[in-house]
Amino acid sequence: MFLINCPYCGERDQSEFSNGGEAHVKRPENPDSISDKEWAEYVFVRSNPKGIFYERWVHSHGCRKWFNAVRNTSTDEILKIYKLDEKPPSLDEFKHTLQTPSGEPELGSGNFTVKK
Amino acid sequence: MSAINNTKSFHLISSQKISFTFDGKKYTGFKGDTVASALLRNNIKLIGRSFKYHRPRGIYTCGIEEPNALIQILSEHSEPNTRATVKRIYEGMVIVSQNRWPSLKMDIGSINNLLSPIFSAGFYYKTFMGPKGFWKKVYEPIIRRTAGLGKPPKDFRSKSVHHYHNVDIVIVGGGLNGLIAAKKLINTDYDVLLIEQDSFLGGVLNNSKKIKDIDGQENVEWLKNTEDLIRKSKNIKILKDTLVTTYNFKDHLIAIEDKAVESAPTSYKSELALHKIRTKHTILANGHIERFISFRNNDLPGVMLASSFEKYIHRYGVVPDSNPIIFTNNSSTFSLLKSLVDLGCKPLAYIDYRNNSSIEKNILDFLKNNNIQTYTSSEIEGCDGTNILKEVSIRDDKKNIIKIKTSMLCVSGGINPDVHLFTQSKGLIKWDSKYLTFKPDKPFQNTITLGSASGNFNYQSLNEEVNDKLSFLKGAKEIKIKLNLNTADDLNIREIWETKHEKETLWSKSFIDLQNDVTTKDLSQAVSEGFDRIEHLKRFTTNSMGTDQGKISSINSLGIVSKILNKNISDVGTTIYRPPYSPLSFSAIAGRNTYEFYDPKRKTAIHSWHIKNNAVFEDVGQWKRPWYFKLNQSETMHQAVQRESRQLRETAGILDGSTLGKIEVKGKDALEFMNLMYTNAFTKMKPMTSRYVLMLGEDGMVKDDGIVSKINDQHFIATTTTGGAPKVLGDMEEYAQTEWPHLKVYMNSITEQFSTFNISGPKSRAIMRKVFSEVDFSNEKFPFMTFNTFNYLDTKVRIMRASFTGELGYEIYVPPKYALELWEKIFRNGKNLGLIPYGTETMHLLRAEKGYVVVGQDTDGTVTPVDLNLNWMIGKKKKDFIGKRSLSRSDTSKKNRKQLVGIIPIDKNKNIEEGQHIVEIKSLPSNIKEPIEYLGHITSSYHSPALKHCIAMALVKGGNQLMGKKIFVSKSNSSETVESEIVNPVFLDPNNRRLLS
Repeated sequence: MFLINCPYCGERDQSEFSNGGEAHVKRPENPDSISDKEWAEYVFVRSNPKGIFYERWVHSHGCRKWFNAVRNTSTDEILKIYKLDEKPPSLDEFKHTLQTPSGEPELGSGNFTVKK
Repeated sequence: MSAINNTKSFHLISSQKISFTFDGKKYTGFKGDTVASALLRNNIKLIGRSFKYHRPRGIYTCGIEEPNALIQILSEHSEPNTRATVKRIYEGMVIVSQNRWPSLKMDIGSINNLLSPIFSAGFYYKTFMGPKGFWKKVYEPIIRRTAGLGKPPKDFRSKSVHHYHNVDIVIVGGGLNGLIAAKKLINTDYDVLLIEQDSFLGGVLNNSKKIKDIDGQENVEWLKNTEDLIRKSKNIKILKDTLVTTYNFKDHLIAIEDKAVESAPTSYKSELALHKIRTKHTILANGHIERFISFRNNDLPGVMLASSFEKYIHRYGVVPDSNPIIFTNNSSTFSLLKSLVDLGCKPLAYIDYRNNSSIEKNILDFLKNNNIQTYTSSEIEGCDGTNILKEVSIRDDKKNIIKIKTSMLCVSGGINPDVHLFTQSKGLIKWDSKYLTFKPDKPFQNTITLGSASGNFNYQSLNEEVNDKLSFLKGAKEIKIKLNLNTADDLNIREIWETKHEKETLWSKSFIDLQNDVTTKDLSQAVSEGFDRIEHLKRFTTNSMGTDQGKISSINSLGIVSKILNKNISDVGTTIYRPPYSPLSFSAIAGRNTYEFYDPKRKTAIHSWHIKNNAVFEDVGQWKRPWYFKLNQSETMHQAVQRESRQLRETAGILDGSTLGKIEVKGKDALEFMNLMYTNAFTKMKPMTSRYVLMLGEDGMVKDDGIVSKINDQHFIATTTTGGAPKVLGDMEEYAQTEWPHLKVYMNSITEQFSTFNISGPKSRAIMRKVFSEVDFSNEKFPFMTFNTFNYLDTKVRIMRASFTGELGYEIYVPPKYALELWEKIFRNGKNLGLIPYGTETMHLLRAEKGYVVVGQDTDGTVTPVDLNLNWMIGKKKKDFIGKRSLSRSDTSKKNRKQLVGIIPIDKNKNIEEGQHIVEIKSLPSNIKEPIEYLGHITSSYHSPALKHCIAMALVKGGNQLMGKKIFVSKSNSSETVESEIVNPVFLDPNNRRLLS
């Protein structure tokens, strides 16, 4: 469990929040004008990277506000938190950050002493 | 030789005598003793029987790492698997040994030892494969009875508590390093928590005489002064009797505190506290653990780790044996030698695996001067004895076997930094070829390791290490501790993991995991069967998978496997140590969240009335809802529901609907928002009217239903299903904030702000007129699906004309404070008109007669509004709403989807069961080999008192096209079927005459 810095309430325990999956997946404005495939992409398909991930959180047991976060999914480190109406930070901003715990390969199991 | 009390000791043990019983016999120890030290004081060495082979086992260590000496404490709710080496005695304590029958000395289960060929590595997966059915009926019950640890306690209510900390620095371990680190942080601006698993600080200063004096003071004196200094500083808090079990991300520690050390449980005091600690920096100064060496019968009671033997002398003032034999491959045993000689106890022999030239001169001189029989370049071949060690066999430098009679053997195979917490934190460890162990390398979190926990076994470099590693902390003073040592300067270890057997018998085993009874032979067998990856090998052999996680042996198994594979240990790798570090009681995890506090009960304002009127309750989420009301004790549920249903359709009934979710939506753009959230069109809806509504997911499937009341275009009130309320509110918030932030709209739950009653039945209008005499309830003034607000006492009630039963009906919304009073008033007025209370079961039956669906019963997340024949609820002219686009996807718009239909049995005396399959064949084969064509399934089924036969609702493929078709419904406990017919799901009053009357 890590801490999350709610942009409205401040730093709180992770247990007060719920994860809302990938951020910046825009709901199509004219659903009727797009193909089944495009609509299905929006409804069913999300990316699931190991590494830098732009995602949504909601302070569900607090102010009920939604916001965005950039998290390294392999380290659980939250690199940036920004409000919904703020511009998403560019990927370059996080180049310097640690990619994986203990420096194991970017893909695959965290148990790399065994993989070796 | 017997144990002796070391009278020169000690400040940790008082002279107060404590009596306790072990396996029914009374013993005496001293206040401060652990169960193990007290038993050793009484010359008890046989403590329990092992997990698989039921071999006799004794006390192997003097702490948390103990694999063998697990006991059950009858005087503490029969707490099982307690470490005798940690648990302290108190007056009247009742202890029994585990895993033996009929007695510890005479154990039938030890026959397993002779059957050991079938219990070898992976035996669970191989031995008990057939014949079919034998596992469940024969093997498993037998294994469960004869294998395993203690028995779980019964009828035990936890009084444990949870504590939360937010600090800057946590120091794990109050030993020498932890104290030095704490001393450095005295009166700084950091909030510091120092956590010690024992009741006293000091670590090595209490455990041995390795350090003669410190800063020119006696160890005890220095400890006292240092603890005083720390206590006086305003920024450091000390937690004793507290073990850090878990190191989570991000610098989040879980620790368990024993709040009842040296005392019997009471009815009022917490026995355990779980500390949840959030910190900025974690200093791991949790020391090291000694490891053993595998040899023949290295599990016999009487074999003990050398440093543990030393701990018993210095910490508890008991010498477990006056003349033990010592077997080592390193110099750490020098201080044990000195301690024994100081007490006038001469070791019978000293066996060192190293050769003469590599052993420090001062050790050799000491052995010679004290005339101790010394064997260098030698090893223990094995041990013999029944139930207790009698004789050891030494293989000397010329490979001769020398036998010596003794009752105790002290073993040291080297020391490992205690890296468990460090690896839990995802820190990386690396192999140290000098000390032959894994030590912390790269931390992942804000972790600092100090002293032996970091793999630094050199006491003289402590100052430098602490000052260096903690130099980044602001205001921390330079530390200069002067240590006067009484031991060898360095570890000087020679690699050995296992010695060679001379004789092979079934009794002779060389163990690698004492708790799970894994032998070194199991390791080589597993490798030869292809399990050569260390993680696979661990699971196949169960090595280091006991509650001790192989604390004294896991590195040894890596050593042995590396030899078999002819690889370096660093290439073999390690398994991952997982939390918790040591088993923690479930009661501590649960804390006060037990019984009624585990899952709170939600009760409506009318609850007390329901109880008085013999309601039987049903759990709906956390709510307690009346299921049905018993007229008298002998009335069954079926009878009650039939009676309630009949009476409601004749006169009137009232239901407590307070649990329904209620959400208020307000704002300039509320109308547009509601149009987007629900399938229905709200634009043309008149103010002060209501509508039955559906909410879909983006996938087009029905997610919730309810009634939306429009006060005006800026103000709506929506009801939801009882269970769906939080999700619907959450979804509204999500869309309002993330997708349509331009809409000015706000929403909140008002579920608990209003109690809700549903009155329905032909007499409901007459009853309402009597209760609210000033309101005009005529059909013209108060038509179906309209509502209004009326004064009632000094508050307001909202009354809506709506119905879920198909009868004329009204819903009343009233603040809970007035609810019970109003409910009783309605009853006073309705009694003569035949008003009865009814429960959820009757509500479900009545709505089924009308073909109304229950979301979550007749739908399951794969059902669209079209499938439910609710096309009329879809605002097709609306540009968009949640899920609209999905309704025209090729899959959701295809013809042959499962659709909601009614089912009635041809033979009206037969019943249809909920959940059963609908098929086209009359009789199902008893042994089904080929898949059977399946048309759909029954979602609801009731006996209709109005129609006097069974009615059911079902989802059937292409059901709308199959009206009148004969089908068969399977039965739960027979291959027979019920011949039935597909019909319209509206069974009663299809023209809504009753509803609109």
